[in-house]
Amino acid sequence: MKRIVVGEGSCGIAAGAAKVFSALEPLVSGDQNIRLSITGCIGMCYLEPIVDLYEDDTLVQRLVLVGENDAPAIAQAVKSGDFSGVEHLFIKEEDKEFLSKQTRIALRNCGIVDPTDIHDYERRGGYEGLKKVLTSMTPEEVIEVIKTSGLAGRGGAGFPTWFKWNAARSAQSKSGSKYLICNADEGDPGAFMDRAVIESDPHNLIEGMMIGAYAIGATEAVVYVRAEYPLAIKRLESAIQEARANGMLGKNICGSDFSCDMRIKAGAGAFVCGEETALIASLEGERGMPRLKPPFPAQAGYNSEPSNINNVETFANVPWILANGGEKFAAMGTENSKGTKVFAVTGKVRKGGLVEVPMGVTLRDVIFGIAGGIRDGKQCKAVQLGGPSGGCIPYELFDTIIDYKALTATGAIMGSGGLVVMDESTCMVGIAKFFLDFTTKESCGKCVPCRIGTKRLYEILTRIVEGNGKEGDVELLEELCKAVKDSSLCGLGQTAPNPILTTIRYFRNEYDAHIREKKCPAHECAALLHYHIDEEKCKGCTLCARKCPAKAIDGIAKKPHVIRQDSCIKCGQCYAACRFGAVTVE
Amino acid sequence: MNQITITIDGKKCTGPAGATILNIAKLNGIEIPSLCANGLVKNYGACGVCVVESESSPKLLRSCSTEAADGTVYHTDTERVKKARRVAFELIMSDHEGDCLPPCMLKCPANSNCQAYIKQIALGNNKEATKIIKETNPLPASIGRVCPHPCEKDCRRQHVDESLSIAFLKYFAADKDLFSEDRYKPEAASDTGKRIGIIGGGPAGLTAAYFLRLQGHEVTIFDMMPHMGGMLRYGIPEYRLPKEGILQKEIDTIEELGVKMVNNYKIGRDISFDDFRKKFDAVVIAIGAWTSSSIGCKGEDLPGVYGGIDFLRRVIEGSAPAIGKNVAIVGGGNTAMDACRTAVRLGAENVYVIYRRTEAEMPAEKVEIEEAREEGVQFKFLTNPAEIIAGADGKVKQMKLQVMELGEPDESGRRKPVPVEGKFEILELDSVISAIGQHVDPAGMNGVELNKRGIIAADEASFRTNLENVFAVGDATNRGASIAVEAIGEGQKAAKVIDSFLRGKEVPYRMPFVSKRDPKDIDFSQWESYPRAKMPTRAAAVRKGDFLEVNKGFDPDDAVKEAFRCLECGCHDYKNCELIRFAQQEPVLQPERFAGEKHPYFTEQKLVCIERNQGKCISCNLCVRICDEDVGKGVLGLVGRGFTTVIKPEFNNKKVLEFCKSCKKCAENCPTGALKVLD
Repeated sequence: MKRIVVGEGSCGIAAGAAKVFSALEPLVSGDQNIRLSITGCIGMCYLEPIVDLYEDDTLVQRLVLVGENDAPAIAQAVKSGDFSGVEHLFIKEEDKEFLSKQTRIALRNCGIVDPTDIHDYERRGGYEGLKKVLTSMTPEEVIEVIKTSGLAGRGGAGFPTWFKWNAARSAQSKSGSKYLICNADEGDPGAFMDRAVIESDPHNLIEGMMIGAYAIGATEAVVYVRAEYPLAIKRLESAIQEARANGMLGKNICGSDFSCDMRIKAGAGAFVCGEETALIASLEGERGMPRLKPPFPAQAGYNSEPSNINNVETFANVPWILANGGEKFAAMGTENSKGTKVFAVTGKVRKGGLVEVPMGVTLRDVIFGIAGGIRDGKQCKAVQLGGPSGGCIPYELFDTIIDYKALTATGAIMGSGGLVVMDESTCMVGIAKFFLDFTTKESCGKCVPCRIGTKRLYEILTRIVEGNGKEGDVELLEELCKAVKDSSLCGLGQTAPNPILTTIRYFRNEYDAHIREKKCPAHECAALLHYHIDEEKCKGCTLCARKCPAKAIDGIAKKPHVIRQDSCIKCGQCYAACRFGAVTVE
Repeated sequence: MNQITITIDGKKCTGPAGATILNIAKLNGIEIPSLCANGLVKNYGACGVCVVESESSPKLLRSCSTEAADGTVYHTDTERVKKARRVAFELIMSDHEGDCLPPCMLKCPANSNCQAYIKQIALGNNKEATKIIKETNPLPASIGRVCPHPCEKDCRRQHVDESLSIAFLKYFAADKDLFSEDRYKPEAASDTGKRIGIIGGGPAGLTAAYFLRLQGHEVTIFDMMPHMGGMLRYGIPEYRLPKEGILQKEIDTIEELGVKMVNNYKIGRDISFDDFRKKFDAVVIAIGAWTSSSIGCKGEDLPGVYGGIDFLRRVIEGSAPAIGKNVAIVGGGNTAMDACRTAVRLGAENVYVIYRRTEAEMPAEKVEIEEAREEGVQFKFLTNPAEIIAGADGKVKQMKLQVMELGEPDESGRRKPVPVEGKFEILELDSVISAIGQHVDPAGMNGVELNKRGIIAADEASFRTNLENVFAVGDATNRGASIAVEAIGEGQKAAKVIDSFLRGKEVPYRMPFVSKRDPKDIDFSQWESYPRAKMPTRAAAVRKGDFLEVNKGFDPDDAVKEAFRCLECGCHDYKNCELIRFAQQEPVLQPERFAGEKHPYFTEQKLVCIERNQGKCISCNLCVRICDEDVGKGVLGLVGRGFTTVIKPEFNNKKVLEFCKSCKKCAENCPTGALKVLD
């Protein structure tokens, strides 16, 4: 059977994959030998839309950057078996490395299976782990396997999964209910690992959750997904119905005594609801605000009953671990970080996308080895790991390995997988301000250190990038950062200062340049830029004056022009427009 | 119930199992600051000021919502805890918009609670008003007449129309009390057996004596003059402050309280300072500044040249010098005004005020300048004495005046007068009165350390001199001569310090931390203009011929109307405010370090009997939680996120307000003045 598979994750659809699919459909619908289907996210955002051509289960050719106009040529090529007409769409050898260099466990089915078809999942060994668990293992044995695997929470904190499961299993329930909750409230700017897993391989999540539910003795499972992920919700909802219809959810799963159903709760898009106690409050219909721990959710969580909360990626590893054994998972990685980690690589890299690598490889391996290094021939400067809770690691430390301890030692954190790469044109004070803007707005407003502290941090950063920084501001930032970390109620506030602290630690010179010299070394902070026209180079072509939206450039034709600094709004249009390199910026 | 034992700051504390660290601390007499916890509601942990450290946890713990663990050692005073608590308070205060105390009170050197007594005046309770005034000032009828009222300079009413007439309201209320049947007479506490000797019976000494006596100490004032009152008596003309009619009556009240008063007694003449000291547990030097500064020009020692305060004293003593018909007073301050107007009353026909700057720069009160002018005083601005020239009799005959012009501003911000080269004027004169300043004469105070300017050096917080048990206050100390209310403020503050010292644990004076608003942030258009009450005075033509009081005092109706002009800037909740009570226990807070956007200050009345002020709300959310968890109504809720979070009707839906049953629990439990119960 010849198969045409169109990558339809949100990213592929955004790039036009659905249009490609629609264009292909009438061209191949009559052909019994060709099956047109979709898959989820293949992971190479920079090459979307992607169309894979299969012969049965063998990938024959991968076509990239496909447009809907390419559909007739693709249909013709598949029908005839002569691919010369689509040669221009072939993936390059270099780009094949993006996937071949990865080790995919959590993402093992992403971009391969049809997320809308449970049988496609089962054909790749899906639900084998769950069947094995329900037919031959006690919950304690399951927990033991997870313990052996060394799996740790992939949401960012890296807490041992077996420990949480065991705590929830041991906890007494007053009503007889226990809950297993999946945290799919993925909110870090630049992170989309969880979305990709749900959109691309929802049954893997369902299977992982049911294994967890069995282990802790849960009576109900809930997936808390942010409402901004409509496709993920739609695919998961249909997968839940499929799983239920196929006996993988609901009463007497796989014919066993174990019963557990699952539902989706769409979150209203508050970042803080990724914090487990806030998530529980939100599930309960309360305002999403964190509560103090203890009591921990395992003791008194959702509805004050024992609850276990894991992240999507954590659950996505579980079926594989149960199918392949804990030892095999533990064989990957480092002494204190086992298995693999998925990263959403974005920023100034040549190849952005989803990357899953074994723990222990270096940041350089990921950013240069897989993601192809920096775009446009620029210098790499740093990488932000862990989103607003994480920190900036400078290029000099790119030999740091992906390992919970090693990354924490740099001042950053592993985080949930957001990996934003920055080049020389990125202002590090500006980056810190960007993240504080985010945390300030996403703070729930409950506790003082976070509600007011992050606001004040943001205000100080703002005055620095606007050229109003004062001597002592860096020290004030450091003092306030420490207080906010030390006294905030939940993880949001406790980690919010990390972007500031790491940028001060590694890029103090940039802070000093803004404060003392009123200069932005990266030439990014508009308030600190000054545009000038070099009299000798200016030909008087008047182009810059015509482009200037502020009418801040004076001059007559064929005479050097001058920028009136008091009117200049520093938009940079003159700089971009000048064909003689006469406009300089400093 | 099971009891557990924990250690807090080294003290063994027991309490019921399951209780929070905060509650066990409370049960054992240890107070941990906390703003958002309350027994009516569940643990919450928002404000962050209650953090403590545990020897068995790496994290700071919120004591209000952390269950105490049996056998655990907790600390509330480590550097880490103190730092976290301080920053939490500073952050809260950086977003707390309100005036704890009214600006008039903060500006008053004696911190007189003007807003409180003005309110009593508005309500017609003059005795209650006097009682409030006398909490800080035992001489209100006198001070109300003569005070240059710094309070009025900061009065917010000036942004609407004009400042309140605060000093004259004080004068009004104090007079009403002074001449009533049942004068306000506080009682001294029971005798402590401690003896205090006060040197000098001016405003500083009288005030210190009054407050120390109230505390039950045995106080004696020694004064070199025949009457008590100091500069109030001998430096201020009768027409401004009637001595027997007002001042002496107020002094009598102090004496009636049990303060002993000894006159015509001078340390260094009648007794050595060392011997004097030995007789008391504490000594207060309040000798004032009684020497006139000299003009510093040729001829300043001629017969017919008098020092300003010497001149005023001699007039009051009844031995006025013969100043003749043409008199020049040098200087532009209040003493110069007193001297020129006194000269008018002595019959001088041409009275000149020589001042080297212009009227705008004159430090004297505007009303004094006006009244002097009404009485015929001639002002010679931009002139400076170059020489005083003697006549054939060797006495003053003429003054040569250097004509001046204003140059660049000096350090004080005033434009500096500079001579116009070669330009002079000649004035024909009979006498000259120099009113350009006064100095301390510390003779007799053997061993007391002086500062560089020859003034007694006293610590600004403890009022201590270099000598054990010797304190010093008023004009005689530090910056030298100032206004009477400044001396009263020092006497009052020193009394507190000395009392604490005599009781064994000296607490130095510290201006308590308070929240203040910037007038720039206030919209004054909400108030309607209503003119300031004018003080009725005797006509210039009449009054210039005698020494009877110029002011006639407010008519009661006018006083009440004036009192109603008060904007009541200070917070109604200052005395019960938990936020400020705890904040004041901290080392001096500097919320301005974190100055930034604040929640706006405005009041709204959404609930029937509650007025809410957004600026004062610290988002502890007690009102929201109490209404929900304790009252069971859930009328209030949080709207918005992060810094923009505000308390509104639940779901921002006004309809839920109908569920309010006016139980007032929200306002009663508000830790700040954000919620106010309307009567």
